[in-house]
Amino acid sequence: MIDIIPYGNSALLINFEQKIDAKIHHLVKGYFNSISNLDEVTYQIPAYCSITVIFDSQKTDFESLKQKIEKLEINSNETYPDARTIEIPVCYEKEYAPDLESLSKDINLNPQDIITQHTSVTYDVYMMGFLPGFPYLGELPKALECKRKSTPRKQVKAGSVAIAGNQTGIYPTDAPGGWQLIGQTPLKIFNALDENAFLIKMGDKVKFKSISSETFKTLQQNGK
Amino acid sequence: MANDLTLTFLQAGLQTTLQDKGRAGLQYLGVPVGGALDITSAAMANHLVGNEKNVPVLEITMTGPEILFDSDALIALTGAPFELYCDDKLVENNTAIYLKSGSILKFGKLKSGCRAYLAVAGEWNAKKWKDSVSPLLQVPEATPDSIIKKGTKLKINSAFLNKTGSWDKNKHTPILSNRVRLRVKPGPEFDSISRIAIAKFFGQGHEISKDANRMGYRLTTNLTNPEDRSEMISSGIIPGTIQITGSGQPIILLKDAQTTGGYPRIANIINEDLDQLAQLKPGDEVWFSIA
Repeated sequence: MIDIIPYGNSALLINFEQKIDAKIHHLVKGYFNSISNLDEVTYQIPAYCSITVIFDSQKTDFESLKQKIEKLEINSNETYPDARTIEIPVCYEKEYAPDLESLSKDINLNPQDIITQHTSVTYDVYMMGFLPGFPYLGELPKALECKRKSTPRKQVKAGSVAIAGNQTGIYPTDAPGGWQLIGQTPLKIFNALDENAFLIKMGDKVKFKSISSETFKTLQQNGK
Repeated sequence: MANDLTLTFLQAGLQTTLQDKGRAGLQYLGVPVGGALDITSAAMANHLVGNEKNVPVLEITMTGPEILFDSDALIALTGAPFELYCDDKLVENNTAIYLKSGSILKFGKLKSGCRAYLAVAGEWNAKKWKDSVSPLLQVPEATPDSIIKKGTKLKINSAFLNKTGSWDKNKHTPILSNRVRLRVKPGPEFDSISRIAIAKFFGQGHEISKDANRMGYRLTTNLTNPEDRSEMISSGIIPGTIQITGSGQPIILLKDAQTTGGYPRIANIINEDLDQLAQLKPGDEVWFSIA
């Protein structure tokens, strides 16, 4: 069920079945939580269907840690009562959604249907990567699956809500990026100056809610 | 006896940052590890001035800064050797140096390597984010004191007079070359990479391209037909991971790299050779062999 291989000389890689799937995500989350309790582990990088585990080679070695992880009993059907559902208000109006119109043509779905579909799902935060605080959310409704932009933008605004492949995500900071931008949230999902810098964490659930540009501006001014 | 010392940067240098050991534990949130790239040289700089090894140091890249010290100071420069001047007088690398109040430290020519480390005895008064001063590329406001610009002022509570007894004569002076062999372990996708690509990877030297920074080094080599399999699902990256892009170009990832990536990982440079990796610069040549 899991395959544990060495990764460099002080890490190991746990590979799950290689596909993007909610059930596998729950297994990843289960292993991540259990491994977090091991003293010899320095840090972990959970991804869609793998976990990179970096260990302190003064305290353990590949073989011992591998055996310890193989003995863990993880139930993928667990519901994880600690998982929070975070509602993210998104303005999908034109000035906040630079790719909505062209995407509508590409996937042959009118903009209102794109919004309805995008807000219809409660997404799992499968992993975080690319930028500090960038959540990879899945799974996107089939009708919305799309390609990346052929030329990435040099600057995408913080708060931009984007889709690519069968995933959706939110830009935590201004950054270059190639995903299709279909809306923007006034929330700061990453704020380094806040004690709780990260609004969203791996393992949470996210639901998008459509808001007007007036509400966007009010929320932005309130700094929420 | 302690005194307050302010460093004023009259010139910033090419890329001068304040670094410590970085931050482990936030990688599940997408935060790179960060920290000084050549940790042995950084630790030695602190050791020479009597600091604990994880006290911040200035990481100086290829072109050095010019710094005014407004009070007496004890400093040491390690790592890549520079022509170093105190008030236009040549001073030594890899040794503790007293600077008198009002001294100006200037960096001349870089003799070899890429990164030097400047330690100053005492406690830095620099803002930390999540227990580290190491800057995050996309979030400069998190550690506003750590990215040095012309005019930056950094304060230090300089307590060096108590600690002069802790100097050691066992100097760490790295042997720096522009042609190195680094030891690697096969990476997670090693078996899925074509034999021709593997043969090219180990059978020739690779030049570090101009696209080289604290996130990663792109190599100029093209390993044709690098992979036989379709797109890979994003997975974790650690410092020293070598990926092969879709076009066949190897990229070595360093400490500021993003935490996940979707290219096959051909190999990982072993921890013991990461300091040497940090001293490579564009135009240098690297060879790989299995550890």
